Amino acid sequence: MKSLMKSGLSVLALTAMATGAFAADLGAKDEPIKLAINEWTGQHVTTHVAAEMLRAAGYEVEFVTAGMLNQFQAIADGDIHATLEIWSSNVSDQYAVLKGEGKLEELSDLGLDAREGIAYPAHVEELCPGLPAWEALKDCAMNFATAETLPMGRLVDYPADWGTPGADRMTGLELPFKAIPAGSEGALIAELRASTEKKSPLLVTFWQPHWAMSAYDVKFVTLPAGEDACFTDPAWGPNPNAINDCDFAASRIFKAGWPGLKDKWPAAHEILVNYQLAVEDQQPMMGAVDVDGKSVEEVVSAWMGANEAKWKPVVDAATK
Amino acid sequence: MAVVEEVSGGRGLDITRGAKAALLVLAVGITCRLLGAQFDWLVAWPEALTVPMTDWVGAVVGWFLSVFKPVARAFSYLISFPMEWVGAVLRYSPWPLTVGLVTALGWLIGGARMAALGFFGLSFVVISGYWTEGMNTLALVAVSVPLAAIMGMAIGIAAFEFPRFKGAVNALLDIMQTVPTFAYLTPLIVLFGFGPVVGLIASAIYAAPPMARNVLLGLERVEEDIREAAVMSGGTRRQQLFLIELPAAGQQIMVGFNQCLMAALSMVIIAAVIGGFKDIGWEVLLTMRKAQFGPAFLAGTVIVVFAVVIDRMSAALAEPREPQSKRVALGIFAIGAGVALWSVFAGWSPNGVAWLDGWAEAVDAGVGTFTANNGATLDAVKNTSMFYGLLPLRIGLADAVLPFTWGFQWTAMHSLMFFAASAAIGGLLAWRDHLTAGVVVVIAALLLEIGIAQAPWPLMLVGAAALGWVASGWKLVRLVVILLGLILISGLWERALLSLYLSGASVAACAFVGGVLGFLSAMSTRVWTVVRPICDMLQTIPLFVFLIPVLMFFQIGEFSAFLAICMYAVVPMIRYTRQGLISTPEEMIEAATASGAGKWQTMFEVRAPYAAPTILLGLNQTILYAFAMLVIAALIGTTGLGQSIYLALGQADVGLGVTAGAAMAILALVADRLVQGFAEERRKALGL
Repeated sequence: MKSLMKSGLSVLALTAMATGAFAADLGAKDEPIKLAINEWTGQHVTTHVAAEMLRAAGYEVEFVTAGMLNQFQAIADGDIHATLEIWSSNVSDQYAVLKGEGKLEELSDLGLDAREGIAYPAHVEELCPGLPAWEALKDCAMNFATAETLPMGRLVDYPADWGTPGADRMTGLELPFKAIPAGSEGALIAELRASTEKKSPLLVTFWQPHWAMSAYDVKFVTLPAGEDACFTDPAWGPNPNAINDCDFAASRIFKAGWPGLKDKWPAAHEILVNYQLAVEDQQPMMGAVDVDGKSVEEVVSAWMGANEAKWKPVVDAATK
Repeated sequence: MAVVEEVSGGRGLDITRGAKAALLVLAVGITCRLLGAQFDWLVAWPEALTVPMTDWVGAVVGWFLSVFKPVARAFSYLISFPMEWVGAVLRYSPWPLTVGLVTALGWLIGGARMAALGFFGLSFVVISGYWTEGMNTLALVAVSVPLAAIMGMAIGIAAFEFPRFKGAVNALLDIMQTVPTFAYLTPLIVLFGFGPVVGLIASAIYAAPPMARNVLLGLERVEEDIREAAVMSGGTRRQQLFLIELPAAGQQIMVGFNQCLMAALSMVIIAAVIGGFKDIGWEVLLTMRKAQFGPAFLAGTVIVVFAVVIDRMSAALAEPREPQSKRVALGIFAIGAGVALWSVFAGWSPNGVAWLDGWAEAVDAGVGTFTANNGATLDAVKNTSMFYGLLPLRIGLADAVLPFTWGFQWTAMHSLMFFAASAAIGGLLAWRDHLTAGVVVVIAALLLEIGIAQAPWPLMLVGAAALGWVASGWKLVRLVVILLGLILISGLWERALLSLYLSGASVAACAFVGGVLGFLSAMSTRVWTVVRPICDMLQTIPLFVFLIPVLMFFQIGEFSAFLAICMYAVVPMIRYTRQGLISTPEEMIEAATASGAGKWQTMFEVRAPYAAPTILLGLNQTILYAFAMLVIAALIGTTGLGQSIYLALGQADVGLGVTAGAAMAILALVADRLVQGFAEERRKALGL
């Protein structure tokens, strides 16, 4: 009997240990965890889903609006505890510096499968037959020409502070296009909108997931696959004398947080590290917000209700 | 240009100051044009002579930041309390209570008119659905304005008490107003930490100078006998200042306070760029990002409404007024409180209100339809202006005239013919006793053939120095050369020339359009009643909003930037031109009428010369506004210093940001000093 008791206890202890290896302590659950809200809708969706998961685990969450480029100092100072959608294509040097100094912790990839590329609104196919194959651009460059770019075609590139990937492609592939930096995301969208309204030619550097992809029926130009060799070996690809003669390298979307997060809210840290969101889930939510005009809270809570299988296990693993 | 001509108005043979300067500039210009092909250093500043200025500035600022960070952090910790309190009070007060309070306040300040203004203004905010955001914005302004006012007051008093520092103080105020905020945003965030406090401090820095200038002006204008009475009654200097002189300068100080409020409101959008606060500026940025003109315009209008209410009420405060019945005010407030009670019980909150969303969508759709229907016309307008205006100005006729643009290729032959024609016109002018004007025509032709962005640096440097010499004297020449020299050795010269070209083209367009509109507004009050509210709106709405329709119509590029800058910078030109033309002393007009002059003759021969100094001041403001707008225009893809500032912001490169910001401020300052020099010279000539 005694031995039975003993073994029973040890079984209990064992199960407790087994779950304990995964479940973390909630930590200071009465103090709110502050999540950054940046300037774009996709990020709002991502952040609100994470917030609901943290709330389900028993945390209090507060949103802090923060400029994408200016938030990292705040995270290093502990004024914001996590930001959940950082694009590797658009991250300031300050991020690398602060991360190097140990003032920021990278939390893992979000699992959002992003794509960047040279793109155009669907109606442009009529103005440049042969699209989406990139070779078609060689012959119809003049259709894209404007006052600033004559005699070359015009490519609206990312704002200058995001880098010049579009211009690099044009040089690599020897396409007769001059890249004009957009200046801001709003300017890019205005270009797409005007082109769709006027049915005028337009070539832009763009990315997905983005609500405008469906709103303006944006299509990507097919380019040679962006393998590593393309960016280092000139001989690779259609142009034997240049690098960058291919599509964009896959961009990474990841999360980062305040280094103190792990000690102050261990379970929250685990939830945020394991949190994943797919394009198929995020893009419809973005559309519901930006195109149908619903509020983010409404859309996210509907999704949370319908897709418990996608997020509940992460919360349970960290808390139970 | 007219001024230069006036100065040289003497006989042709005895060479005036203006003519000497112009001849020197022409000699330098011709030398550079002829020898530029052989000697690269005559056109572009040699690489070897630049210093790593951005690195140095970065290092110095970095050191400064690490030393002052603890103090700054403590300050931002302290200031966050009043900010939260004010924010909480404004957010949690039921809206009818706030509306009632503002209406009652309006009644006390200016009777039924002000009360109605307050009531309808705030009601508009309620139905727009931006009440909470609006209150956050007000909280920001409510804390930053006292901060700016105290700072401005201290600076103004210091400048008055220690006249030795007046020059230095003026320079400091100029710097505070001309260095674009974006340029020092990164260091501010490092220094003060993240959040609304940074926006608050940025807006205080920008809003303090008008306060300081007006305090100084007010104190200087206190009449001698008041001052003497204070001295005789035997108080200490401090008592004299605070009990006698400051109250005596009260009206001028209230003008400064009003300007300070408006400046703080116009910075709301900058606070939003940093974030940390869900205010109106943030809403504007969000809708901007989606290129939704309607909603962005609606949110922007809320800021305009705040600005108009605050401006009119604080302006009324500055004027002497009759006391209003306190009982009525109490009554209004009581009604507000009553409705507030009801709304609390009924649970009615202004957050879900969206009565104006339909309107916003209609505006948005309107812009879309207009673009769709007028695409070809809009493109034609843009191409014409680019081909025949902006492009030649930037890269010169020699490069801009191509078969694609003008239908033929510019050759050396064309250059020769062009120079011969301009020399002929110049010679004719010189022969008719307008030597300076003649030389200036040839210089302008030279510049047009080369293009401003490719102009040789000796030509620009000597040209600016010569203008300084004519306008004021050797002291100004020294200042101009040193300041421009700094840009040269910092390696930002090329970018500075691009900025100069874009703002120069905009200023020229504004001077013309604004001058005409100001003139028409002065001639007819009916025109002014239409023009005035437009001016008000253009000055207070966050200009980001207008970038969207401009972009939709004309796409990313310099023409859009040019239009955006013009929209903002044309306002002072209109206002000052009108002001100058209508403020001619009555006796001068009477004298003119008595001697048989008609309306138009009086306008051109009496009013216009008398108004010249005021109009020059307006031009001065237009130049400063154009430079301020250059940074925002970088959001629609211009190159030049504005783009450098954004690049620096994105990469958190403190050195580049501050250096580019300083370069921009230098350009603005040099232009400002030159125009002020001419204005001063005119005032003296008129005996004012």
